[in-house]
Order: sequence, then structure tokens, then C-alpha cells
Amino acid sequence: MAKRIILGAASVLLVIAAAYAAFYVAPEERTMGLIQRIFYFHAATAWAGFTAFLVCFIGNLLYVWKREPKYDWLGVSSAEVGLACITIVLITGPIWAHPVWGIWWTWDARLTSTFVLWLLYVSYLLLRTLIEEPERRALLSAVFGIFAFLDVPLVYGSIRWWRTQHPSPVIMGGQGSGLDPTMKKVFFFSVLAMHILVAFLIVERYALEKLKSEVDILRREAEAQ
Amino acid sequence: MKNLDSVFAAYLIGWGVFFAFYLSIAKRTSDLRADVERLKGSFSRSK
Amino acid sequence: MSLLSSTTILLGKELRTEFRSRELLTTTFVFILIVLVLFSFAVTPGTEEARQFAPGLLWLAILFAASLMFQSCFLREQVNDTLSSLRLAVSDPFCIFLAKLCANTLFLVLTELLMLPFFALFYNIPLWPKLPVLLLVLFVGSLGIAVAGTAISAISAQARMRELLLPLLLLPLLTPVLVVSSLVTASLLDREPVVQWKGIGFLAVFDLIFLTALWLFGEYLLEE
Repeated sequence: MAKRIILGAASVLLVIAAAYAAFYVAPEERTMGLIQRIFYFHAATAWAGFTAFLVCFIGNLLYVWKREPKYDWLGVSSAEVGLACITIVLITGPIWAHPVWGIWWTWDARLTSTFVLWLLYVSYLLLRTLIEEPERRALLSAVFGIFAFLDVPLVYGSIRWWRTQHPSPVIMGGQGSGLDPTMKKVFFFSVLAMHILVAFLIVERYALEKLKSEVDILRREAEAQ
Repeated sequence: MKNLDSVFAAYLIGWGVFFAFYLSIAKRTSDLRADVERLKGSFSRSK
Repeated sequence: MSLLSSTTILLGKELRTEFRSRELLTTTFVFILIVLVLFSFAVTPGTEEARQFAPGLLWLAILFAASLMFQSCFLREQVNDTLSSLRLAVSDPFCIFLAKLCANTLFLVLTELLMLPFFALFYNIPLWPKLPVLLLVLFVGSLGIAVAGTAISAISAQARMRELLLPLLLLPLLTPVLVVSSLVTASLLDREPVVQWKGIGFLAVFDLIFLTALWLFGEYLLEE
């Protein structure tokens, strides 16, 4: 329990520190100005979201192999946290795009692929709500989760190829397309901060899922009496 | 400063989503803990 | 019994069942026609714009048809619990998937072949120039749709709201197929046709990845 509190406190501190760095340490970008500072939050959250989905994939594989409920708990927790991250990416993207390009949405490769990613994991969570029996739900959603994760590189690859055929404005300035060294440091610090935050949220969500299963067992015992 | 409100909106909404997510977890956790107490109470009563 | 012979027997069963009544093929074919007609209301037909959109609309129609076509795939086996008998009959559960996905691919391709003349007619697109390659693209794309569709059909059959769940799970997974197939088909049907072998290769890779995933994990979808 103490570890969780420490993790939570650390993540809040790091996130605040990263925001400070994004505004006061990182130099101002030449063409876009102030609005570009969204990048540190937007891109770092995207990376953390992908990591969450990777954790979900590992949880799914482990569940299929070992059939221990804890891997199912890990799967749903990391999927939800990942989805929260990707939701933020999809919201901050347009907020960045609108002042710069005058449009809210553009079917640029990364935003489009990220939207499909969002849909895939929404489907994963929806599937879970539609299966009552816990073991079947865990198994079927684990297999779907595996399929979904394997699909992710194919989605990104296909949409990037589509975009080379029909180009559209590249909004996010191309990650790593000549980032100033200080910017790079601030960015990687932001990535670290978001990962710690994501780890904290996954731990908390996992604890909730574990508690849920304990309550279910208690409930069934109560009904048996 | 140009676009300051957009930058603030982005950060606030982002943090807002994470915060709302954490709050929903915390609320569900405390509700469940209350359930556990209630169920444990009914066990000791029925014994 | 070996994988191949079990699969062949099950495939024979699937084909016989369908060709007895042909209800799946006919209803899917009519549905695709309806979708093509409806699209023509959304996009002014006969114009250059329609010609540009047509390949994408073609694949959209195929995707929608597949979402409906694959509903019955595993639902059918729940009546009288024939799935249990199938599981007992074969040594490797993958045979069941293999047979069903071969049948589904065949049905899908047959429907597409029947639909092609109408597509060419409605959108004024000559298909002759690159017909063999077009058929190849249709096959490779449909195979991907069938592999994913068969797997998702097994999942959704065990959940609630299965009619809505199947497209919901399937369509995001098939985004790469839609994107790439439309692109390849568009450049094939262009005024100066170009064969995008990279795209066809991509579709083949998609098929291979999902086929392997189905081989590795499919049996868990059929567990009691």
C-alpha cells in the first residue's frame, strides 16, 4: 500500500515537473510558437499509451498460457489506461491542429492510425461487457486482444502507405525531425513522467479488479448460505 | 500570448481525463470496500 | 486423421450445406447489389468523382457483406451443439477453422465475381485490362477478410448482441485490408493502370499473420 502511495506521489510530481519543463525549459519553436508545447504532453502520452497496450498484449498472452485471473486483471487495467491515454492524444491533437492549420481534424497518417487504435481497444472493452461468465470473458477477450495488438503495426503501415499516395498536412512536425537537444531532453523527461503516471494508474485499476473478484467470491458464498 | 488558451486547454483537458479516470477508480474501490464490509457483516450475523 | 484430410472432409460438409440451399450466397449477393445502388445515390454516378470513389466503395460493400455473411458461421454450430461433435471428430481444432475459412473465402469470392459485372456497369469502369491481377487482389483481400471474420465469428457467437458485435470487432481489425485493397484496386482501374505489387504483398503478409495467429490461438476460441 505504501508503495502505491509513493508511486502516485512520484507520478504527480513528475507530471508537474514535466509540464514546467515543457513551458520554461524547452526553447520556443520557430514556426509554431507557443502552441508547439502541446507536443511534449501529446506525444509523451501517445508513447505511454502504446506501452500500456503492450502490457495488455503481454497480459493477454500470459492469460491464454497460464489461465490465472491476475493476467486478465492486468489486461483490462492496461487496456483502460491505454485507452485514456489515446483519448487524450485524440483530443490534444485537434487542439494543436486548429490554431495552426485552421482545421480540427485531418486524416494525417498518425492521427488516423491512432483513431483506429482507439476503436480497436474500445471494441476490446465492449466485448468484455458482453460476456457474463468470467473465465470465458477472460479467454475470448485475451484472444481478441492478441489479434488487435498484432493488427496495430499493420494499421499504421497501411495508413502511412495510403498517405504517401494521397498526402495531407503533416501536423505533428514529424517526431524527431530535427529536435533541438534541449527539446529532446524535455521530451524524454515527459515520456518518463507519463510512463510513471500510466504505471500508477494501471496498479490502481488492477487493485480494483482484484477487489472486484474477491467481492464476487464473497457474494457467491453469501448466496450459498 | 498567442494560442495560450489552446495550450492551457490541452493540458487541462489531458490532466482532467487522467484525474477523472483516477477518481472513478477510487470511487468504485470505496464502494466495493463498503460491499465487502456489508457481506462480511452478514456472514458473522448468520453464524 | 491428418490435418489435410480432416479439413477436406469438413470443407466438403460446409460446401454441401451451403450449396443445398444457396441461401447465404444469394442473400449476400443481393445485399452487395443493394449497397452498390445506395452508394450510387451518395456519389453522383458517371462522373469522374464516381470513378475515383468506386474502388473504395467496392471494398466497403465487400466488407459490409462479409460482416453479415460471417454471422451464421459459428452461430449455426450452436443449434443442436454440432460444435461439440466437430471438436470430437477432429484431432486438431484448427481443422474446423481452416475448413470454415476456406469455405468463407470461396463464398466471398464467388459473391464478388457475381457482383463484378454489375459494378463495371454501374460505375462505367472497364475491368478487362487488368482482370487477372484484379482477381488476384480480390482473392488476397477476401482471404484476409475471411481469416479475421472466421475468428471473430467464433468470438461473437459466444457473446451477447452478437449481430452488432461481429462488425464492431471485425471492421477495425480489417482497416489495413480496406485501405490497401482500395488503393491497389484504384490504381488497377485507373485510366493508366498500374499494378502495385507492394500492396498485394502487404495483403499477403496480413493474411499470413492472421492465419498464424488463428493457428496459434484459435483452439481457445472453441473451448467448452
